[in-house]
Amino acid sequence: MNVIEAEGLEKTFTTRVKPEGLKASFASLVKPRMREVAAVKGVSFEVESGEVLAFLGPNGAGKSTTIKMLTGILAPSAGKARVLGLDPAKERLELSRYIGAVFGQRSQLWFHLPPADSFRLIGAIYEIDESDRIWRQAELVERFGLAPYMDVPVRKLSLGERIRCEIAASLLPCPQVLFLDEPTIGLDVIAKREIRLLLAEAAEVDDVTVFLTSHDIGDIEKLCKRAIIIHHGEVVVDESMKDLRHRALARKLVGVKYAEPVRFQIDGLSPVKVKAADVAGAAGIAGAAGVAGAGDGAWTAASFEVDTRCHQLPDLIRALAEKGEILDLTVEDEPLENIIAGIYGAQSGAEAAAAARPRTASAPAAPQTTAPAGEKAFS
Amino acid sequence: MNRNTWISAYARFLGTTFSVNLQAVMEYRVNFLIQAFGMMLNNAAFALFWGVLIERTGGIGGYGFSDIMFIWALVSSSFGLAHILFGNIRSLGRIVQKGELDLYLLQPKDVFLNLLASRTIVSAWGDFIYGFIVLCFLPGLSLGRLAIFSSFVCSGGLIFAATFAAAESLTFFMGNSSAISSAIAEFMLSFSLYPETVFDRGMRWVFYSILPSGFIAFVPLAVFKGLNWAMMPLVWIVALAYVAASYSLFRLGLKRYESGNQIGARL
Repeated sequence: MNVIEAEGLEKTFTTRVKPEGLKASFASLVKPRMREVAAVKGVSFEVESGEVLAFLGPNGAGKSTTIKMLTGILAPSAGKARVLGLDPAKERLELSRYIGAVFGQRSQLWFHLPPADSFRLIGAIYEIDESDRIWRQAELVERFGLAPYMDVPVRKLSLGERIRCEIAASLLPCPQVLFLDEPTIGLDVIAKREIRLLLAEAAEVDDVTVFLTSHDIGDIEKLCKRAIIIHHGEVVVDESMKDLRHRALARKLVGVKYAEPVRFQIDGLSPVKVKAADVAGAAGIAGAAGVAGAGDGAWTAASFEVDTRCHQLPDLIRALAEKGEILDLTVEDEPLENIIAGIYGAQSGAEAAAAARPRTASAPAAPQTTAPAGEKAFS
Repeated sequence: MNRNTWISAYARFLGTTFSVNLQAVMEYRVNFLIQAFGMMLNNAAFALFWGVLIERTGGIGGYGFSDIMFIWALVSSSFGLAHILFGNIRSLGRIVQKGELDLYLLQPKDVFLNLLASRTIVSAWGDFIYGFIVLCFLPGLSLGRLAIFSSFVCSGGLIFAATFAAAESLTFFMGNSSAISSAIAEFMLSFSLYPETVFDRGMRWVFYSILPSGFIAFVPLAVFKGLNWAMMPLVWIVALAYVAASYSLFRLGLKRYESGNQIGARL
């Protein structure tokens, strides 16, 4: 069953624009110049009950605007949205009983009071029976480990503690869908991990559909089963986390370090980074651009970006081992960040969609299945 | 939802909000006491000033000292009540501007009521109590008069709240209505605190329209002095009409709300 359906959602804001300078300010007093800004341009997707979905995109991509349209804060300029079968723009009050929302930068807790008081108020706002509220609150306090903070004014809590309280508070009325806009913004590694675990548990235990926006790849990799990436107000990727990760895993970063300086070249594969050995005393790490000359010289360490659909990894490692005594060898997956950064960097929605297409389409060499023909010789 | 559950749900919501607000201001005990008593002292200073003035002139525009004190007491208590119950009536515009309305739009309670009731103003407690203290010193106080006074404090509180909130709601249409809304607040308070008769006849219609000081102070004074109960329902009907108008203006503006994500910008 679909709990969220978006069909060609659009939102256009009218903004007043003013060129630089005082003169322009006076001119715009008399005749203001308006410009239409399309924040979201025809976004369509569906979310099934119980899904944990990541909604990604760079700043200004339209993530928050989309969430605001789904929760009924903003009315769409065009298109349709349905959440739990309700139209958010027209049935906002009814919908608000069944959804929860955590906006990382905005608090629903009373700043000067302990969370316990805010919980009591939330109970009254959502018309939860007082005995049910107490029971539910006790469960959340236990699960979220809030016991030490429940009687401390919110202003004295750390950001991580506060966000934990925020999420617990939004789960108090047992929502069916939980919207989170950047819940881990500004948190340290440990606090982030805690929040992720708690959200994963909530999805499981409370049977809540989670719709999460974030910049943090860690959040998404660990928590979500599916990702939608939007850019310039359009959906550019909508696929399972597994597929997205598989695409990323086709690329490996291989780093090697030798005991003695070595001197060799590999056809069709140039190091992205080397540590030159022949520059006396001033051995430094050169960027990929400065590597061209260093290829002829000797070096002690290098790293390669390998597309495993073009190059066999074992062959490369064997080739490297033959060149000298290896001190250290590392093989890493390409971070998901790089893939997404490629999409983010694109100028328009169309370009972004192109960048998001599987790389085999534009891979320079033949695919892996015909390895012998496409393989490069390491010499 | 049936009507009774609806009413009890809102009663519980407003009761809890009020108690949480009160707890929030009492977090800072010293500030609470200074502000509440400070406001009473401030008002008392004006009473002294009027006392001296009227002793010399023997009355202003047909108002004696106790008349002046009555409208002071009434205006002070109604103004206080409006800000105790609906502390956000003067911050509504700023909240809209900063996109902070989102929070209230996400909760299953009426946005207007939820927003206005979610804060209380500390110094308003001083204003509210001061009015009742002054009333105790006025001649001819009876239980009936106390009832009339209390009723007018409530209707006046609603009129104050409705007018201030309406002025602030103009932010939806103008982008920033702080100048006009603070002017309305200042004028309304000043006009309510002086005898109606000192103002020009041609100007008095204002007191029964955009700056409804007439319904807050002048009509109640006539009722109070003459124990004219018949006028009381009229004042209440007017008060509810102001509330309805203010609510409609807010709903109209809400359609233009564009949210925002201000983190802390230079204004």
